[in-house]
Amino acid sequence: MSFLSAQAVAIAAALTIPPLIVLYFLKLKRTIRLVPSTLLWKRAVEDLHVNSPFQRLRASILLLLQLLILILAALALGKPFWERAAKDEKTVLILIDQSASMSVVEADGRSRLDIAKEEAKTCVDNMDEDSRVMVITLCDRATVTSSFDNDKRALKRKIDEIEQTQSTTSLVEAASLAEAHAQQVVIADTEPSKMKPSPATVYLFTDGRFNDADKVALKKFKAEELIITRIGERDDNVGVLSVDARRSYDRPELVSVSATIRNFGSTPQNFDAVLYLDDNVLDIQTVQLTPGRSTDDEAGVPLGELPPGSVGVCAFDEIEFGGHGVIEIALRIDDALKADNRGWTVIEAPHHINLLLVTPGNPFLAKVLTLDALPLKTTTMSPYEYEEASDEELLDGERSKYDVVIFDGHSTDRLPQGNYFFWGAVPKIEAVAAGEVIDDEVIFNWDDTHPILRYVAAENISVYEWLRLQVPSDAVSIIDGQTSTVLTYFTREASQFLVCAFRLIVEDQQGRLLRNTWWFTSVDFVVFMQNATQFLASNVATTGRKSLSPGEPATLPIPEDAKEVNVHRPDNRTDRVPSAGYQNIHYGATRAVGAYRVDPGVTGQDVFAVNLFDVVESNVLPAEKLEIGAESVEARSGEVKVNRPGWGYLLMAMLVVLLAEWIVYNMRVFV
Amino acid sequence: MAIIDRKAAEELLDPEFMNRLDQLDLVSRKIFAGKMRGERRSKRKGESVEFADYRSYVPGDDLRYLDWNIYARLDSLFLKLFLQEEDLHISLLLDISKSMDWGEPNKGLYARRIAAAIAYIGLVNFDRVSLYAYANGLQYELAGVRGRRLMFKVVDFLTNVEYEGVSNLAAACKQFAIRHPQPGIIMLLSDFFEKGGYETGLRYLLGRNYDIYVVQMLSPEEMDPALVGDLQLKDVEDEDLAEVTISRALINRYMQNLKAYCQSLSEFCTRRGISYFFTGTEVPFDQLILTYFRRRGLIQ
Repeated sequence: MSFLSAQAVAIAAALTIPPLIVLYFLKLKRTIRLVPSTLLWKRAVEDLHVNSPFQRLRASILLLLQLLILILAALALGKPFWERAAKDEKTVLILIDQSASMSVVEADGRSRLDIAKEEAKTCVDNMDEDSRVMVITLCDRATVTSSFDNDKRALKRKIDEIEQTQSTTSLVEAASLAEAHAQQVVIADTEPSKMKPSPATVYLFTDGRFNDADKVALKKFKAEELIITRIGERDDNVGVLSVDARRSYDRPELVSVSATIRNFGSTPQNFDAVLYLDDNVLDIQTVQLTPGRSTDDEAGVPLGELPPGSVGVCAFDEIEFGGHGVIEIALRIDDALKADNRGWTVIEAPHHINLLLVTPGNPFLAKVLTLDALPLKTTTMSPYEYEEASDEELLDGERSKYDVVIFDGHSTDRLPQGNYFFWGAVPKIEAVAAGEVIDDEVIFNWDDTHPILRYVAAENISVYEWLRLQVPSDAVSIIDGQTSTVLTYFTREASQFLVCAFRLIVEDQQGRLLRNTWWFTSVDFVVFMQNATQFLASNVATTGRKSLSPGEPATLPIPEDAKEVNVHRPDNRTDRVPSAGYQNIHYGATRAVGAYRVDPGVTGQDVFAVNLFDVVESNVLPAEKLEIGAESVEARSGEVKVNRPGWGYLLMAMLVVLLAEWIVYNMRVFV
Repeated sequence: MAIIDRKAAEELLDPEFMNRLDQLDLVSRKIFAGKMRGERRSKRKGESVEFADYRSYVPGDDLRYLDWNIYARLDSLFLKLFLQEEDLHISLLLDISKSMDWGEPNKGLYARRIAAAIAYIGLVNFDRVSLYAYANGLQYELAGVRGRRLMFKVVDFLTNVEYEGVSNLAAACKQFAIRHPQPGIIMLLSDFFEKGGYETGLRYLLGRNYDIYVVQMLSPEEMDPALVGDLQLKDVEDEDLAEVTISRALINRYMQNLKAYCQSLSEFCTRRGISYFFTGTEVPFDQLILTYFRRRGLIQ
């Protein structure tokens, strides 16, 4: 045993032990008792003491005990330690959910994030001294808040610094990050026999609502090494799940606004929904929603199995507005989560979409695009003309002068910034390619919540053949075949690409034109083209185009001569963002919901909305059980019970008792 | 006739018990010559009716005891000798040092009751009873009372003694032996906590050829002390102090020492022909007298 503070031992011992012994050698004040004779008592005492070298000390067990206490106390002050063979460090990962649902204020007045931080700090306090702890926060993306450290004070300070976000929750990235860091750091000169991986323990503090828990595969963790602490109890929440603004086809100055609102709680709700246009109240409606779940339904119900009446649509029709502005729906309700009580969307001034159709000749497509019902101004070029056209004909600055360019069976790499719709062809950009023709599959799946398929009966689409598309990993598949995607959407730089794997008309080997699908003969196709062109051109704001999820980066066009722009955030702060080149900016500080304004911006694209619009996040009832990959992990609730080190208090108590004992005895002792 | 303080008398001996004592007599293992003729057969030839022997007449002898029939036949003067019945000297030495005023039941009271009982038996049998109370020497003395009538003096004496001083058996015995050369029964009543030792005192008595009875009495508190803690024990006699920290080991050692002390006193007495009695004061007094002393042959 060694001492970090050997001097403290010596000082403490010198100050306390000699006085104690001296006090004991002073005459003890004894109770006087009369006896008939002391003759035999003296003999008895002498008999007991005979041959004893420490006769006075021997009589006092109290003194020996007190000496022992003092010696132990003095040794403790010296910070004793033992040199042992170094044992493996324990690796501990603390994951703290900072998503929007963690902002729910619980009954004790603390937000779930505050509770999680307190419990995480308690967890840190409870760690062994040789544990190395990493703190990771997770919302829409995972962030290492504190790299591996064993300084508990620094770790707790880092935990305190975690801020609330209004983002969704993603476990995939956090799990990947945790697994990556959970591996034992192998030092180059470590003997192979000592390179045993130390088991990492993961503490997850969350309310258990993840969008992607089923995509997580915990290969390196055992279930018992993942300890999930369930935070929170409240379930009363009403959330806006979408806000949609649409101009009338025939009277573009009239706008219809609708919002999908869901009651996630177990009590009926009655509240007002207020419609704002550029922060001015336009209308108010009263909304009544039945409970979203029964009180004993702990896990909540999936979206598809809602009780009738728990989801409502609040519609405001025929609002006369011909300009460009921000529409907001706000629910006047005091519920658990505030971030989902408001939804924004941006509506632009009505104007005809300037469309370029590049086709070798497709009368069906040309006909649809020239219908009066569609507010389109269509220009048609052959592929040859397009490739040969001068920049002046195609470009406005660095962007395409057309709002939407449709390529019918023509793949090209002449793609200035713009919005492109490929039929049976692909943009010649990285990671995108067209493969062999598939003619033996059927349309298998589609996303009918996507704005492009709104009011489109996708189940009626029947196509003879399409190309096997190779698309980037970030591409959103809208319609799927059995083995490949049929309709997909992705963005690159400031351009949008909508790629359809089939053409409406194909040529056979003899060069005859054949219908590849009867779809274009249905009304659905007209609606589809309306949706697609408006989606790409963003003429009418929809939940998909202009609304971003919290934390999702935005790429926005800026004026040609602007070197940097100001982004005015919903929290009244302003960020100065330099141009990323190519007349656009990348902006990522979108953690707060609301409307963001770019100044100076390109007219019509100088405002964007960030909305929560997340069923999982709005369902604030904490999950009892977390399904992670194929594993099911029970979440424990309540406060983390820990064993705080108590030796310091004990030592203090010991010294106090000792002091009191001295005082009491000294009152009875006389010199 | 003096009036006996009835309450004090009953504290020492109640009437019923006295009646039972009337039937008893002290037994001396030795026959002593007394000053007066009593009810006890003496070695001395005397005036009783029981013939003992003849001897030749010497001038000065009482002519009344001449056997004239012998003179007629033998023409020689012979004197008839008869066994003379004499009284017995009973001396009770009572320890009245402060240590005797101790215990529950009280050692001093217990000793005085024994003394009263023995004295009563003696008086009833016309023995000469003397009482002495000693501490640092003979303090009180009631010498030579005889006859039942004087029992009040005994009671008066026993009720008026006061506990005082330090016990000094040797000094007391020395004084007693000087004053009382005539033999007799000596009963010594004490706790025998003698810091100077009991041996010297008893040897003074042995030198006078007394028939000695030693009665040692201790209170229950002395035999099994109920003491705890860190104490300063103060001797009630000489105020000597002993600092002790009571432990089970110390109590055991004390009890072993007490047992050994009593054993050594017993052996000392036995070897020298002294009758030794030990009693605790919790033993009922009448049981002690009527059973214990009887069994040991002190009284019959």
